[in-house]
Amino acid sequence: MSKLYACIISRNAKNDKAVLLSIVHEFASGIEELEDGVLFDVSGLENLMGDASEIARRIERKLKEHKLSANAAVAAAAETAILLARASSPHRVSTSPSVSSPHVSKGASRPTGDVTSQIDLSDHADKFSQLPLRELDIDPDTLDIFDDLGIRKISDLRRVPVDDLINRYGREFQAVIDTIEQKGGRILTPNIKESSLTWEYDLDFPVEDFEQLIFIVNHGLDKLFSRISYSGFSTEQLDITLGLRKKAARSYEIKTSFPTLERSFWLKLVNLRIALDPPESEIVSVRVISYFTRPRPSQRGLYAVSRPEPEDLLLTVNKLKKLVGEENVGVPVVLDQRVSEPFAVDPEQLPQGREKLEIRSEKLTAAFNYFRPPLPAAVTVADKRLLYIKTPFWKGRVKQYSGMWKKNSHWWNRPWHDREWDIEVEERGVFRLGRNEDEWFLYGEYD
Amino acid sequence: MRNLSLVKTLTHLKEERKHSEEISLESAGLSFTRGTLAELAGGPSTGKTSLVLSLLSKLTRAGEVCAVVDSTDGFDPCSASLSGVELENLLWVRCGGDLEKAFLSADYLVQAKGFGAVWLNLNGLPKGRLRMVPKTYWYRYRTRIKETPTLVLVTAEEPVTGSASQHAFTLSREDVAWSGKGRYKLLKEFSLNLHSRKEFYGNRLPASVGFDYSDV
Repeated sequence: MSKLYACIISRNAKNDKAVLLSIVHEFASGIEELEDGVLFDVSGLENLMGDASEIARRIERKLKEHKLSANAAVAAAAETAILLARASSPHRVSTSPSVSSPHVSKGASRPTGDVTSQIDLSDHADKFSQLPLRELDIDPDTLDIFDDLGIRKISDLRRVPVDDLINRYGREFQAVIDTIEQKGGRILTPNIKESSLTWEYDLDFPVEDFEQLIFIVNHGLDKLFSRISYSGFSTEQLDITLGLRKKAARSYEIKTSFPTLERSFWLKLVNLRIALDPPESEIVSVRVISYFTRPRPSQRGLYAVSRPEPEDLLLTVNKLKKLVGEENVGVPVVLDQRVSEPFAVDPEQLPQGREKLEIRSEKLTAAFNYFRPPLPAAVTVADKRLLYIKTPFWKGRVKQYSGMWKKNSHWWNRPWHDREWDIEVEERGVFRLGRNEDEWFLYGEYD
Repeated sequence: MRNLSLVKTLTHLKEERKHSEEISLESAGLSFTRGTLAELAGGPSTGKTSLVLSLLSKLTRAGEVCAVVDSTDGFDPCSASLSGVELENLLWVRCGGDLEKAFLSADYLVQAKGFGAVWLNLNGLPKGRLRMVPKTYWYRYRTRIKETPTLVLVTAEEPVTGSASQHAFTLSREDVAWSGKGRYKLLKEFSLNLHSRKEFYGNRLPASVGFDYSDV
């Protein structure tokens, strides 16, 4: 069944909120409050009321009855309905060209009580095309460029080949293209007061077996997710508290970087998380709290580059954490500090997959590779010159070197004892040599 | 006759090969095919890491997610950043010198499918330990990544992947150039030679690796 959305935009949305909601509740149960109006899902009303035009007329009649100064629009995509309703001037009605009988309803003016209605189906197809680009979510610099090129309306932008736009402005621009093509990437998110749902279960008999626990959690997630799904929401955090027989309750906080209601995926995450830190005693009760969040807004397009699915990435990272330790898996970060190794792993972060548009030359840059632990060495020095080096695995003549370079990470409270050299060892390679007190080490190689 | 339709003609196969997705590294004159295993082998200071970082830079800047399986914890994110790698698109797995964990980690990553490249960094591991790695691992990776966009890169001091790799290069260092004089000179450039082990009559490819002393 095709989707159909209606939007009512009012200049006095705050004051008219109660009346607006009472009107909207006559048409839909899925309602999202906007700052300047309401968006609601009228899919399926065609069988009850008639086509989109008829639904719009009924909305308009209701607005008139309540003498509200508001604009309404009905369209197959939520963004289209919002754009048309916002763009409609007072006492005019606009409609989406993609709806079979597109249409928009008009506004009434409360102060005068004079309500004029105009439903002009002939220009509906053009109305959306004539909307200015400034109504869309395009950054100001790009808008200025479009303006200089004479591209000011949606119809102008539609004439530009999509491939060229994506090449120039990146994958993120696909959202704008979806909007102008009315592909309906936006999902209606009903406003509800609660921010979380809780499921609790007291067990008749204590559970020791891990599989039994997962079975119980599965049952709880099934109930929770069906209720969340009914509300049009999703979740990206679960808090699980296990009541234990002889010990204090254990709590686990499980987060994802994206909202999902995929139960099997959550179960795998719960499994991995609890396996990392299992409870010490039999489980006598289970409580699961699921926090609401908006669902994932859009699907990836054909232009998307290679990237693991978010679920796969998160599961893989959790498996890796279980294998090599939580602190050893993550995104590398460079620290803004003058220390010997100014970098760290951020285990909380997942790779983002963000595209960089600036062009960079492909020139090869020498990289450094650390030896763990540093390789102890014996160095022959004569007349303050490095001559020969011997390590447990090889030895060789020092062909060239530079240094000494003094190194200190906390110079304000530590003396400058650490010294380093870059050395080229004949027939071996180029290394970083360091001296700490009286000991020599090879810290790594340039590769 | 119906079964014959499953047999692809030579022209068809050549056409498929021509259109296979390749990642080219113009600076070194190399190209790698997605969905295959590639190997860069060479001793210390032969530019293996620089080449891989350059490749990761290209992929991560395009928004692809890549992974480093760091068998000996030798990976230097500062060098990667200087080479242009977008660290926020990179997953770093430190294995602390445990070779078995490194191979298992790489296995998890290739199973996830969708990574642009998975770099198994075996630099710094003694040749004796590398020779103990069962060859079946490489064939397993090759099978796993077939028809996926993932390129598995392996760097080590000596060739380890055998016939499982589609591209295998041996690198050697020709010369090291220094700038300045006296004790305070700086490393300027490595001159390298790359030789493909898969093309017996292929020419040696010269390449150079420059040093960048700018702050990260």
